[in-house]
Amino acid sequence: MKNGLPPSPSKTTLSYKTRFGRLGQYGLLIAFLGICLTLSLITPRFFTVQNLMIIVTQVSINALLAFGVTFIIITGGIDLSIGSMVAVTGVAAASFAHPDTYPVVVPVVIGLLAGLLFGAFNGFVITRSHVPPFIVTLGTMTIGRGLALILSKGRPISNLSDSFNFIGGGKILGVPTLIVILIVAFIGCSVLLKKTVIGRYMYAVGGNEQAARASGIPIGKVKLVVYTLGGLLAALAGILLTSRITTGQPNAGQGFELDAIAAAIIGGTSTSGGTGTMTGTLLGALLIGVISNGLDLLNVTSYYQEVVMGAIIIGAVVLDSMNQTNKN
Amino acid sequence: MKPIRTLLSSSALLIALLLTGCNQSTSDEKGGAGSKKLVIGATMLSMQNEFIVNVHDEIEKKATADGVELITVDAEHSPLKQVEQVESFIAQKVDAIIMNPCEVEASSPAVAKALAANIPIINVNSETSAKPSAFVGSDDVESGRMAMKFIADKLNGKGNVVMIHGYMGQAAQIKREQGAREVLKQYPGLKLLAHQTGEWDRAKAMSLTENWIQSYGSQINAVFAHNDEMGLGAAKALTDAGMKDKVIVVSIDGIPDALQGVKKGALDATIFQNAEQQGSKAIETAIKAAKGEAYEKQTLIPFQLVTKANLSSFLKP
Repeated sequence: MKNGLPPSPSKTTLSYKTRFGRLGQYGLLIAFLGICLTLSLITPRFFTVQNLMIIVTQVSINALLAFGVTFIIITGGIDLSIGSMVAVTGVAAASFAHPDTYPVVVPVVIGLLAGLLFGAFNGFVITRSHVPPFIVTLGTMTIGRGLALILSKGRPISNLSDSFNFIGGGKILGVPTLIVILIVAFIGCSVLLKKTVIGRYMYAVGGNEQAARASGIPIGKVKLVVYTLGGLLAALAGILLTSRITTGQPNAGQGFELDAIAAAIIGGTSTSGGTGTMTGTLLGALLIGVISNGLDLLNVTSYYQEVVMGAIIIGAVVLDSMNQTNKN
Repeated sequence: MKPIRTLLSSSALLIALLLTGCNQSTSDEKGGAGSKKLVIGATMLSMQNEFIVNVHDEIEKKATADGVELITVDAEHSPLKQVEQVESFIAQKVDAIIMNPCEVEASSPAVAKALAANIPIINVNSETSAKPSAFVGSDDVESGRMAMKFIADKLNGKGNVVMIHGYMGQAAQIKREQGAREVLKQYPGLKLLAHQTGEWDRAKAMSLTENWIQSYGSQINAVFAHNDEMGLGAAKALTDAGMKDKVIVVSIDGIPDALQGVKKGALDATIFQNAEQQGSKAIETAIKAAKGEAYEKQTLIPFQLVTKANLSSFLKP
């Protein structure tokens, strides 16, 4: 776990902010390990390789969405349409994934392309219209759901090819494909956020948009990129979900946006923008997954699970706001 | 500039007039041919639900065949919206209303309002606490009983069962659980190991089953899921864990995917709920009621147990 911590911050003016982000993360890491330890003591079934693998598998789809949301929230935005994008891209991919029709790359490319276009559309409207992203993506959330229903005629699309079902349901050398894809995506997103110019621009735009504009950062382009990334990651999640449950469902992904936002926020991404890391988000998603898995193992009713989850989200935000006050 | 603008606006007006004129004439034709065409309003629980879409398809098919004008609206799971939709049907003076209720209590005012306006209202698929003109549907308690009875027979009355609920508090969830528990009481050898909601969702039920497998492993002898989506999710988790051949999975509805599941052995049985018959009986009853003819106050369409043995009669070519 310790190796997963973020690399030392580069020497920019933003480093003190990210350092505070990390402070929050240590608290989160401690909480996470504490919960894992408690669960291991209560039930012997928790700390087994197989169960841990299952947790990561179950978490992976939410984590992928949360990575996308993290980019967006760092720039001070929000995306409510990702759940609908999961449905649209999943249905679009499933339509081309029947056995003996197209090679498996076709549904994957079509799904990703659909997500890319959807995300880019979000970004385009947001940058051109100056309407708050909350409103724009609230609109596209509904549009997306409608499109998924239109494409599928309101029915699940099943009978998908084995090779398509392998993408999200298979194993590579005993490791579920979802875990492999999650790790690759995590590394990719972390590098993009931490090691590239566009990544630093994202922090700058979310930290102080006026200052960023004054220093010549192409704000419109940065926003277009983050929403497109959000769409692309939602498409990946949509394809994987469709493959995992071997059917494209128009009502899939309902409420996923909230789980993803929760993961990002628990992970220390500040809703006021400018702060956040992929490690934190991954940890946030894992925490949600561990709690849900642990409570299932202990056979705790889902009613309590929801209460616990809500309390954790509030706790994380309180921690974040305390960090903000300390900083001042 | 000005003359051009006048020309443009006047031609736009002309086109608009022509278009409305065209519309007028077509609707006149319609009215002329059918003399007095019956109008039936239908409000459906959710057009995102495959089963409901299937019920509605049948209603629509029959309405078209009988020359009835059907107005369909989607209540999107909201009883409030449903009541408003029925109010608007009343305002439009439809001849009969078909309602697929969202909720037992909260959709009841719609029934009362329709009856007060002397418009027959037919509930399809699920019930309201207010008594409608007629009810067409199936008894969900029976489906829960049938599913658990199947498990009891397969396990010779001895073993551990887990149950995956639908959305907690919905009529179908409550009744399917009630039916299952009735049978469990008759078999003291059957133990309910764990039960949890899967919210009618395949992915959620799959995760839940994966977690249960970690928790109980080979202790699980059978899974009862309140709908096929969740049953298929549970079956996928069991297959992935290499346990499917040792665990019985039964679910309810008989959607096409579940019939395929029975064929492939993923599901041991599904309890077929006949969407086609519910739809066609509902519209038949509505038409009779609209014409003032005698009609059945209650039509119960029986559930049917589907296993590999009788699968062929349910699979559509």
